[in-house]
Amino acid sequence: MKKRLSTSSRRRFPFWTLGLLGIILVILVPVLYFLPRAKPSTNPADYLPQKAVHVDHADIVKGDFETGQDVTRACLECHEDAATQVMGTTHWTWESKAFDVPWRDEPVTIGKANQINNFCISAQGNQKSCMSCHIGYGWQEDVPYDYENAYNVDCLACHADMAQYGKGNYGEPSESVDLLAAARSVRAPTRENCGACHFDGGGGNGVKHGDLDESLYFPSENNDVHMGGQLDMQCTDCHWTNEHQILGRMLTDNYTIDPGEQVSCEQCHVNQQHEDERINTHLAAIACQTCHVPALALEDPTKVFWDWSQAGQDGRVDDHFTYLKIKGEFVYDKNFAPTYLWFNGNNEYRYLLGDKIDPNAVTYINKPAGNIDDLSAKIFPFKLHVAKQPYDAVNNYILAPITAGADGFWTNFDWNNAFELAEDRMGLPYSGSYDFAETYMYWPTTHMVQPSENALQCDACHGADGLLDWEALGYPGDPVEWGGRDK
Amino acid sequence: MTKRNLLILIGLLLGTIAFPGIRSALAKPEPAPVEEVSPLHPTFALLDKNGENVLKSGEPLSTMQTCGQCHDTEFIQNHAFHSDLGLSDYAQDGEVNASSGTFGKWDPLTYRFLSQKGDERLDLSTAEWLMLNGSRVVGGGPAETSRAGKPLEDVKADSANPEASLLNPETGQAEAWDWDESGTMEMNCFLCHIDKPNYEARLEALESGQFELANTATLFNGGLVVQTEDGFKWNESAFQEDGEIGEDHVLIKDPTNENCAACHGEIHTDSSSPLTLRAGDLDTPQTATTGQVISAQKISESGVNLSGKAELNRSWDIHAERQLQCTDCHYALNNPARAGETQKVGPEHLLYDPRTLEISEYLERPDHNFARGQSAQYNVAPELKGTMRRCESCHDASKGHSDWLPYIDTHMAAVACETCHIPQLYAPAIQSYDWTVLTLDKGPVKAYRGVEGEPNEVTSLVTGYKPVLLNRTNIDGQQLLTPYNLITAYYWVYEDANGNTRPVRLLDLETAYFENDAYASDILSAFDANSNGILSDDELMIDSSAKEAAVKSKLIALGLENPRIEGLTQPYSINHNVTRGENAVNECKACHNDESRVSQPIKLVSYAPNGVLPAFDTANNVNASGEIVKSDNGAVYYNPVPANDEMYVFGSSRVRWIDWFGALMFAGTLVGVIGHGTLRYLSTRKRARAPKQTERVYMYESYRRFWHWLQTTSIVILLFTGLIIHRPDIFGVFSFRGVVTIHNVIAVILVVNALLSVFYHIATERVQEYIPRPYGFFDDAIVQAKYYISDIFKGEGHPFEKRPDSRMNPIQKVTYFGILNVLLPLQILTGVLMWGVQKWPGIANWFGGLPFLAPFHSLVAWTFAAFIVGHVYMTTTGATPLESIRGMVTGYEEVEVHEHVEEVNEKKEVQSEK
Repeated sequence: MKKRLSTSSRRRFPFWTLGLLGIILVILVPVLYFLPRAKPSTNPADYLPQKAVHVDHADIVKGDFETGQDVTRACLECHEDAATQVMGTTHWTWESKAFDVPWRDEPVTIGKANQINNFCISAQGNQKSCMSCHIGYGWQEDVPYDYENAYNVDCLACHADMAQYGKGNYGEPSESVDLLAAARSVRAPTRENCGACHFDGGGGNGVKHGDLDESLYFPSENNDVHMGGQLDMQCTDCHWTNEHQILGRMLTDNYTIDPGEQVSCEQCHVNQQHEDERINTHLAAIACQTCHVPALALEDPTKVFWDWSQAGQDGRVDDHFTYLKIKGEFVYDKNFAPTYLWFNGNNEYRYLLGDKIDPNAVTYINKPAGNIDDLSAKIFPFKLHVAKQPYDAVNNYILAPITAGADGFWTNFDWNNAFELAEDRMGLPYSGSYDFAETYMYWPTTHMVQPSENALQCDACHGADGLLDWEALGYPGDPVEWGGRDK
Repeated sequence: MTKRNLLILIGLLLGTIAFPGIRSALAKPEPAPVEEVSPLHPTFALLDKNGENVLKSGEPLSTMQTCGQCHDTEFIQNHAFHSDLGLSDYAQDGEVNASSGTFGKWDPLTYRFLSQKGDERLDLSTAEWLMLNGSRVVGGGPAETSRAGKPLEDVKADSANPEASLLNPETGQAEAWDWDESGTMEMNCFLCHIDKPNYEARLEALESGQFELANTATLFNGGLVVQTEDGFKWNESAFQEDGEIGEDHVLIKDPTNENCAACHGEIHTDSSSPLTLRAGDLDTPQTATTGQVISAQKISESGVNLSGKAELNRSWDIHAERQLQCTDCHYALNNPARAGETQKVGPEHLLYDPRTLEISEYLERPDHNFARGQSAQYNVAPELKGTMRRCESCHDASKGHSDWLPYIDTHMAAVACETCHIPQLYAPAIQSYDWTVLTLDKGPVKAYRGVEGEPNEVTSLVTGYKPVLLNRTNIDGQQLLTPYNLITAYYWVYEDANGNTRPVRLLDLETAYFENDAYASDILSAFDANSNGILSDDELMIDSSAKEAAVKSKLIALGLENPRIEGLTQPYSINHNVTRGENAVNECKACHNDESRVSQPIKLVSYAPNGVLPAFDTANNVNASGEIVKSDNGAVYYNPVPANDEMYVFGSSRVRWIDWFGALMFAGTLVGVIGHGTLRYLSTRKRARAPKQTERVYMYESYRRFWHWLQTTSIVILLFTGLIIHRPDIFGVFSFRGVVTIHNVIAVILVVNALLSVFYHIATERVQEYIPRPYGFFDDAIVQAKYYISDIFKGEGHPFEKRPDSRMNPIQKVTYFGILNVLLPLQILTGVLMWGVQKWPGIANWFGGLPFLAPFHSLVAWTFAAFIVGHVYMTTTGATPLESIRGMVTGYEEVEVHEHVEEVNEKKEVQSEK
């Protein structure tokens, strides 16, 4: 081997560094390739909407406010488009967009403004009470509502601190409200704002939905895992709102629902896979809510049966949970399992005023669409509310009485009078004779999501004591033995 | 998803949903389930044992005759180990156990002994055996047939014959038993094949000795027959005109978990009501002896006062949760639906033979030898062991663990599924029964594990327990670590007149201990330490020779020869209460650690009566290779010793002397080099600095340097990761799984590096440089050694010139040769065999398996570590301390200019002359 004497004093590139780099790569690359890696997981919290920074309006809002409209006028000075945006939403119009339904020639709209339910039945003619939940001021019974008046928009209902604000007759601010204080307290809506109307629908706490009631103001984690405990999420964290367009559509006031307009778990729980492979095989046929909302009305009872035919009796003691003279007999239930149906997000039928009914059969106010062969349908939990409500015995359609309105049933307990008064308002002729028919209404269950430890287990549905009526759902028997619907 | 074959008789129709808005799944109690009428089974007449319709004769029914109208009941009875219970194996050979089944095998827990013919004293006769165990005896077998194979009715009543007598507890004498009067008990189909057998009435009939009535009693008050003051009466209105039972009363169905649970163990099928336990009740033996509970309910929703219950968000048993029934795994062996599993013989090429029984043929002769496992305690019908489905029949372990468990095959070859998937039982289990003493209710002193306090008191805290892991030999010869509960029983035995060892009868023990229902005065005086007239828990134990002598003398006085205390520890298998996911063991350090599950001891008893240690029951397939030791506080423990099973668990097992020796090598080298270096340093300070003449030489080409440093890094990382694997308890911060992966990856890199280098050296013939020339080797080596020992301190130059073509002195050559060509290949070989111990078991075992390979690997590792210390130090002996290292990095080294050796010697001569 030759000796190589290096006498050059030139600075040479230190090639040994290349060797060092080579060694590091030879070691690191295989190690990193084979090292056991934790599975990448998407954190649902990453998808929570970013809220604007709160700007305290205490020093911004000035002036005397006599009426609610005065407040709105002041808001619109800076928030110019706000009212227009709101006026384009169903919170304002109380009517859905137009639907083409097979049993009608003309397109129809569905909403509290023009249709009925099987709770308090109709808001039309009863605006004095009912409009306390309209996000506008002054919707009265005899005068068509001025939908175009921007100043009628009630900004405070959603934006004021609810300790400072409340609504009264016809949707006007309550007598005792200090409008200036309320206006100064505005901020992004919280559960208090939404809950003021949505928790007390149907005439009291928790009456209507079953999964929305006042227990959600301060829920524990076991009551609702999103709204309770550490997360303390607000309604707008799931019902994403952009320019006052709120995500989410109520099934009972729609015919079909565009999935793009509806809230879904996948907004945040993107591509949710469970650790147990067996559970993942259920995802194609079972909705998230089915297992994760195992019970309705966890803390506060909800109404499950309302018999209007018993209303108006004398000599009975009024009790919120069993009998009220103005309303009739009811049954409440608490912490019970929902009804499970195939559901693809739409109704297959929604009762419209004037539709004929068969008084000897059940009338569906709304009927969720879906069946076992519809691959876009999944088994979904519903609260079923059964009622016996008045119908026209000759014309065979459901009647919408005046109840809270002037001279209505709640004043003089006269059904005939209530229906006659309603004739003009509804456009429905009253034959003079009425009776009571059984109606069903299905309210989707999606709130009161339980922590995953409390989700339904295998034996809740499968096995001898299972919750599901397999044959009613279209299965030959328990899928554990017969196979699922895609076998 | 497999389809249920219609041949299994249709079970219950699924309950329909009640009115949905009202029905509560959580708050309201379930409505009582309605007995479902079978839609397929035809109606039939009930016949008595003479074949006559019971409506005519008014007699109790005979299941053999009734069911025998369509089903071959003879066949069924002859093919049912539930019925046989060891009778067909019964053979007296002087031993305590005459068979391997309940009839003939002595169970120290229930204690009563089925007397053999010719025994000096009568304990249990066949009749009393039936009365005592009857609730769990199906009928037929020993309940109908004598030990000689004849009908029991033919055995004459004879007080001297244990088959036809009864021990009178009052007089202590045997009395004759007339089978003609009591009748015998046929195999009771209704116990398993109807929904609600009347267990209480049946038990009543059995306990009163009315054996023939037992099967009819099972139907009492179920609609067909009514219990009356003086017997029973058939309910004519339940029958049709033609004498057959009404269609509404055909309640025949295939067995559900409830039927099995009636005899075997606690199950809980009603998910809406919280589960509660009857702990330690030998009527539900599976639960009593092991704490296994079969329920789909979540443990956190049960009603057990369980420590940490709120976090136990898993079901008691996952297979119950997933709606499996007992019969899904313990099926009838000739069930055509299961033919695929039970086929064994056939031509090699045949995967499956479809020529199975027709449904009708099966229904006529269903084999009631059910598929069974290989549990330790239940050894009846051993030829059928291992016929049932096991985990691997349904689950593919290689897929299920693939995302997190390395070495899946190695684990599966050493550890049974149950070990990790049943890490803990959450109900109390029996720990020990001490029959050497009797409590006031004439029972043993019982101890339980998994509970603080009395097991059935509401205030006791159930803690559950971790089972001990023992090696089990399966029928295919495989040895796997499996969980068990160990139950220890202490009892008195004696030699009877025939020279046979027998357990002392309960009757005799009672006579020894009691006088008029209270403790005998001499027993009291021996046991009652504080003389308060009551024997407390601390006093009621034989913990001194005086106490033993007291009892012994009483037994001898009863005529029992050589009474002595014996202890027996029996393993009870645990196969149910399986869990998954994060509830199973999925943390490497649970076993690969100093405190390992594998070597975790289990308590056997809190005290050993008079110091007698229990013997481990060997009549099973469990290899108890551990030690039974007494601790300081008197409690006796079983310590598993994995090494005795030839198990080597990385991170847990170690050979101490190798670690000590290796550490000594390492420390010694370290001390040596520190000392040598210090001396060198000190000597240079004293000496005048004479600058050596050096020249810059290109000593190491780039490939050599790359190879050297890659080898260095690899070996250092391997040593470090190896140390963590060896002692995970010290290096707990590292992930065991991650470190094992790194060790394996770097090992491969090292092997590739070494192989390429070997190829390079051989191809370029540079390998010669590493081989010491034998001629003159020792002389040169000694010269070199002398340099290091003395000349280096004097500042002398190296004796041998370092040239690119001759870089290594003789000591270096021999060291590197040893390291690279002996130790490194050995380390690689042992490492590869350890990694692939499951792939090449033959080769690995030829070397002695892991117990040899792993310690050897550790020893060589220590040697390498010591080598590195020495080697790095030696590189400081260049022209300047860092020069050699610089050379190995850059390739260029300033080496001493060397005069020829002869010139050096000449110089010395010249100098010495001067």
